Amino acid sequence: MSDHPEVQRQVESGIDHALAEDADYCDVRFYSKDKSEFLLLYDGNLEANDTGTESGLGVRVLWGGAWGFAASSDLGSIEETFRRAVRNAKTASTLVRIPLDMGTQSPQKGSYESPMKVSPFEVSLKDKLDFLQRIDRELEEDWIQRRMLRAGFQERRVRFWNSEGSRIDKHLCNVFGAMMIMGMDEDGRMQRRSHSLFTTGDGTRGWELMIRPELFSSHTERIKTELSQLLKADELEYGKRSVILLPGQGHLQVHETIGHPLELDRILGYELSYAGGSFVDLGSFGELRYGSEKLNASSYGGVANSPGSFGFDDEGTPEKNYLLIDKGILVNALTSRAMVREANERAGRKVFEGSGGVARASSFYRAPIDRMTNINVEPGDDGSLRDIVEATEDGVILDNPTSWSIGSNREHFHFGCEIAWEIKNGKRTRILKNPTYQGHTLEFYNSLSAVGGRSTWRVEQVNNCGKGEPNQTMEIGHGVPVMRFDDVVTGERG
Amino acid sequence: MLDQKTRELLKKVRDEAAEKGVSASFTIHREKSHLMRIGNSSVSLNTSEELTRLDLRVVDGRREGTHTHLVELDDPDTAREALDVAVKKAAMAAEKSYQPLSETVEDDMDESPQFDSALANLDPAEKAEAYAEIFSRTGDRYNYSGSWSSGVTEIYMVSTANEREAYHVGTDQLFSVVLKDPDGSWELRDDQTGWRFDQFSVDDTVRRLTSLLPVFRNNRGFRVDEGEYTVVLGSGALSEIVSFAVFTGMNGRMWEENQGWTSDRKPGERIVGDNLTVIDDPGNENTFRFGFDLAGKTRKSFPLIEKGVFKNLMYDISSAARFGKEPTGHHTRSPSMVIGTGDGPGDPLQAVADEPRVLWIPALHYMNMPSISRGIFTGSSRFNALLVENGEIVSPIFSTRITDSFQNVLNNVRTLSSTEVSENGSSTYARRAPVAMAVPSYAVIEGVKITDCAESF
Repeated sequence: MSDHPEVQRQVESGIDHALAEDADYCDVRFYSKDKSEFLLLYDGNLEANDTGTESGLGVRVLWGGAWGFAASSDLGSIEETFRRAVRNAKTASTLVRIPLDMGTQSPQKGSYESPMKVSPFEVSLKDKLDFLQRIDRELEEDWIQRRMLRAGFQERRVRFWNSEGSRIDKHLCNVFGAMMIMGMDEDGRMQRRSHSLFTTGDGTRGWELMIRPELFSSHTERIKTELSQLLKADELEYGKRSVILLPGQGHLQVHETIGHPLELDRILGYELSYAGGSFVDLGSFGELRYGSEKLNASSYGGVANSPGSFGFDDEGTPEKNYLLIDKGILVNALTSRAMVREANERAGRKVFEGSGGVARASSFYRAPIDRMTNINVEPGDDGSLRDIVEATEDGVILDNPTSWSIGSNREHFHFGCEIAWEIKNGKRTRILKNPTYQGHTLEFYNSLSAVGGRSTWRVEQVNNCGKGEPNQTMEIGHGVPVMRFDDVVTGERG
Repeated sequence: MLDQKTRELLKKVRDEAAEKGVSASFTIHREKSHLMRIGNSSVSLNTSEELTRLDLRVVDGRREGTHTHLVELDDPDTAREALDVAVKKAAMAAEKSYQPLSETVEDDMDESPQFDSALANLDPAEKAEAYAEIFSRTGDRYNYSGSWSSGVTEIYMVSTANEREAYHVGTDQLFSVVLKDPDGSWELRDDQTGWRFDQFSVDDTVRRLTSLLPVFRNNRGFRVDEGEYTVVLGSGALSEIVSFAVFTGMNGRMWEENQGWTSDRKPGERIVGDNLTVIDDPGNENTFRFGFDLAGKTRKSFPLIEKGVFKNLMYDISSAARFGKEPTGHHTRSPSMVIGTGDGPGDPLQAVADEPRVLWIPALHYMNMPSISRGIFTGSSRFNALLVENGEIVSPIFSTRITDSFQNVLNNVRTLSSTEVSENGSSTYARRAPVAMAVPSYAVIEGVKITDCAESF
C-alpha cells in the first residue's frame, strides 16, 4: 500500500471509528485500479472499442446484527463513507429478527495474483485487432451472413482490510473471448454456431491465454463446417431420449442447477425477492440424493487458470476446495461466514464446518454476496466422447446454449442449444437444428448415466452471472466433462 | 446534484476538443442510489452509493473509440485525460465499412419531469419502518424478504457537434416484498413503483397480500397438465412478453439482419391481433420519462405496433449509421413502452367469469428465447399464480412453464384491461437505469401453451 499511504491511513482510522461506534465487524475494499476493455468485431466492423476505468472504496459495517454499506469513488470522502456505512448499519439494525453474525476468523495476511505472463492491457489495440481480424477473415464466407468476435479483458488491483486485522492484496486478471457465425437455414431462419475461449485449468490467464490456438482461434473451421450442416438440417423432434452435454452446454446446466441452488444465501431465503430460492433446504445436506452415483461436484477456488479463482474472498476467507455432491449425495453448499453461522443455528446442528470462501463483490461499489467459484463436475470413468456415444442407443449430443430459463427455486429448467447430433445405436447419424430440452433438476441428475474422463474435461469461463440487489455481474469458472443423461424430454410438441 | 461548475468544466473541455477538430460526445451519468434489502424479516443490507461516470465517444473518420471513467469530476484535467484515452483509441481503431454517426444534442434541454425531493432525500429509516408495519399488519408468523430501491439519476450531455446541452434529472423507486409461509413452500409477492415517494402505500401492499393469504393457506397447490389454456397474464407477465417481442421484433438491426421474429414481415403488415397497440411514448406518466436519448436525439412518441400492424423499427445511433437510416431516439436504456389498454373490466375475474378453467399468471420468472427468429419464448410462473374456475379463485398453482410464440400469444388476446398500470423493469447492473412500461393491468389470452409444471411452487 506504499502507493496509497493516505488511503491506508484513512481506512485504518475509519475501521477504528466503526469499532468505536460499537460495530461488530467492518471490512473495506479499495480498488486502486479496475480496468476493463471490450472489443467487438461485427461483420468485420469494430462496433465496440470500449474501455473503462474505475477506482474507489467500499465499506461494509455489521452493527447490531445488520449490514450497512457505503461506497464512493471520491478518495476525498473516505471518512464520510465510513460514517455513512455505520449510519446505514445502525438504521438497518432497527429491523432485525435474525441477527447476522460473522463469528471470528484469524487475521489473514496475504496476496493473490492471477497467473499471468502478459497483461492484456500491455498489448496494443493494434495487436489485439490484428489478432481478431485474422480470425474474422478465416470466418468470412459468402454464405455466412453474420460474424461476431468478442474480446473482453479485466484487470483489477484490490486491497482488503477488516476489523480482525486481515490485510490482503489481490491482482486479478481475466481474459474472455467468443466467436459466433450465423447463416440462414432452408426455412429462412437464422442458425448460429459459436465458440468461447476456454481453459484447461492449467497455465496462465493473461493475453497469452487468448492466443493459444487450441483454446480459441483454431475452432473457426469446425464451427463453419457445423453451421453449413445446420443450415440444411432437420428439426429435432419432440420425444424422450438420452442427451449428451458437451462442456459448452454442460457448464451452463451445472451453473444453473447445481451452482445457483447451492448458494447458501439463496437456501436461507436472502435472494427470494429477486434471483429466487432453492429447492434445497438445511435438512437436505447429507441426505438428499441429488444425482446418480456418478455425480461428484465441487467448489474449487484453486483452479490455477479460471475466472473463478481469486485467492481470498471478499471477507478475508482463503479459497477452498470441497465437494458439494459426493457420489450423488448432497454434502455441502457455497458458503460465506455469516450464512454458515445462521444456517447452523437455524438447523440446530453443525450442518457446515466453516465458510467456503465464496463471498464476492463485482466492484468496489457493491457489497459481497455468496457467489460461485469454480463449480466443477469431476471427471468420471466412462472414457472419451466417442466411448460414450458408442454406448448410447438413442440420443442427441448438445452444445452451446441459445436460451436458458430456470424455475425460481431451480427445481425445473428449459434450455435451447445451437446444435444437436443425433445418435442411433452408438453412431452419430445426422445434425439436427433448434434443439431444446427440459427437465426437473433432481430427476435429471439422477438420470446421469455416463461421465467422461479427464480428456473430456475443460474449464468454461462465465463472465455474465447476474445476482443480487443492487445487481452484480460476476466472473466464474466451470470445469466439466462430457455427461450423458437418460430419458430427457427433448424438442417441443408440434 | 450536478452543479453549474461541473457543466462549465465539461463545456470547456468540449470546446477545446472542438477547436482541435475532435468529434466527441461527453455524457455524465450521476446516480445517488439507496437500496434496502430484506431477508428473513430483517434488513439484510442497507446500502447507498453516489457515483459519477463520464462516458466519452470519439469519432475519427470511420474510426471510433469509447471510454468510461468512474470519477469525481472536479477538475478539467480529469475530463481531458479521459478524452485523451478515447481519442487515442479512436485513432488506433480499425476503420468501419460505413460512416459512424456522431452524437448531436438536437435541442437544448433542462428537464426534471419526474423529480421528487421527498424521494431523493428519503431517510432509509422510513423504509425500515414501512417494512416493519407491513410485517406486523400482514402477520408476524410469515417470513419476509424484499427490496426497496430508490434514487436520483442525472444525465448531462454535450458534444462537439454544437453548443447545445441536455440535462435530465429524475427520481425512481421500486419496492417489493415477498411473504413466505413458514410451514409451506408457497410465497406471495407485492410490488410498487413510481417516481414520487407518496406513490408508495403500506395500505396497498397489506391489502393485496392479505386478500391472497386465505387462498394459499387453505388450498394446496394445483399441478397443471401440459396443454393449451386460457390464461390471464398479469401486468408483469404481459410487459415481459411484449418487451421481448418489441426488442426482438422492432429492433432495426435485428430486422435488417434477418435475426428477429418479424424479419419476414414489413412495416405496414399485420403481425399480431388487431387489439394490440404498442407505442414508445416518453410523455406517458406511468413510464420513466426521458426527453432525449444518449445520442442527443429528442425523444418523441413513436408507434411500434398499431392495432396489430407493424408500424416502425427502432434504430439506435449505431444501427442507423450501419443501415443508412435516421436514428429514432432509441439510443437509450430507458424507453417508455406503452401497451394500449382495452375495454375489459378492472377485475380480471369478471373478465373470465364464463370460463370453466383459467390460469392466472401475474408474472414470469426467467423468461428467455430458445428461437428469436421464430419468436419462441419460455418462462415460468412464480408468485401469486392461481387456478380460476368460472370467475372464482380455486387454488394456487405450482410453478408452471409457458413455452409459446409471440405470434400465437399476441394474436390471441381476447381481452385487455381498461386500467393502465406501471411495470418497473429497472436494473442496477453497473449503473442506475430507471425503466418502466405502461401496461393494461391484465390480458386474457386464449390457447397459451403450457409445457411443464413442477410439483412445487
